[in-house]
Amino acid sequence: MAERPLPFPAPDEQSGPGEELDARLVQRLRAAYAALPASTPQMAEDCARAVLAEAARPQVGGGRGARGGRRLPRPQWWWGAAAAAVLVVSVVRPWRPEASQRQADSAFVAGSAVTLEGSTRVVGDGTVRFELRLPASAREVSLVGDFNGWDEQATPMVQRAADGTWSARVPLEPGRHTYAFVVDGQQWLVDPLAPQVPDAGFGPTNAVIVDGSSP
Amino acid sequence: MTDAELVVRTRAGEGEAFGQLVSRYHDACWRFAYHMLGERADAEDVVQDTFLRAYLAIGRYDERDQFRGWLFRILTNQCRNFLTSRGRRTRRFIQDDAAIDSATAPPSAAPLGVEDAALLRALGQLDPLQREALLLKYAEGLEYSEMSAMTGAGESALKMRVKRGSERLRVLLGRDIEGPAL
Repeated sequence: MAERPLPFPAPDEQSGPGEELDARLVQRLRAAYAALPASTPQMAEDCARAVLAEAARPQVGGGRGARGGRRLPRPQWWWGAAAAAVLVVSVVRPWRPEASQRQADSAFVAGSAVTLEGSTRVVGDGTVRFELRLPASAREVSLVGDFNGWDEQATPMVQRAADGTWSARVPLEPGRHTYAFVVDGQQWLVDPLAPQVPDAGFGPTNAVIVDGSSP
Repeated sequence: MTDAELVVRTRAGEGEAFGQLVSRYHDACWRFAYHMLGERADAEDVVQDTFLRAYLAIGRYDERDQFRGWLFRILTNQCRNFLTSRGRRTRRFIQDDAAIDSATAPPSAAPLGVEDAALLRALGQLDPLQREALLLKYAEGLEYSEMSAMTGAGESALKMRVKRGSERLRVLLGRDIEGPAL
């Protein structure tokens, strides 16, 4: 196969404002990259054969899963549950301030001694404010969702000194969005009092629908 | 035969032409995917998915683009999607603050079967977007303008990712910055 030479950055590139990796490390990265045993012609041949075979089959269920298996179509009950969840969220309309403020006085919170409070509301100009109050001594909390690729680094929440509430404001397009909170970079948390929907079989997430009309 | 000619033949239904494209770029895709994901089996899955998507979308490929760049755009997206999916599969959703307090950090998985395991392990600890930017910039040797077209991120953001990723990589490698004799 035609191997494209790996160009070394020109000296002026390395001294640019964003170029902080020194030459030794660049060399090492390149060496590690090049030292990896190349894929064999057999691997490429197998890959092409598998792709052509897959493309010839009717596409059901959205493509392949990990380890080469086809992703199974979702069962009938999943669509029913998803439709019910969307209906609940649509009726509850959690983006309305008067409807979305939920305090920790529900049976769930009382029964489990969790004093968690969350709220979601449109604050104007198409942005949505997510707030979460945690009883534990969390050092950092971030908001993850389909709007930021579930990236834990993308939307850190800021803690208000006055009441300890974690808050983030995010511009959201109209439509349904799913989200969750990440505490100290490792624990994913859903607001038990906000509407929840299943997310591709990985677990519950909260859901919010942003109206197409002005808030 | 040029890439463009192979694309035309692929569009005409010649599987052999597509096979030539795969053999031409499989190795490059596999290296990138392996360094992004840190697992050979995952890299193979993602590369296969990438070629499948490329094949299904080949009618929309614009000949004015470099085929390699177009293919890598699909590949970087597939790597991101896979990392998101893998991260979510391995996470536990909880609704209980006691569990939040008591849970420990997950162990970091060491990459297997590589010559410079320390570097791979350090790369694996970077934020995926920083790792992606570092690999595209230094391992693939792309210009920021090319990276921007490929990833959809602005050049300033990419420079910042490279800068932050570089700083983090240097910290992670510490005294071992020279690495093993290769």
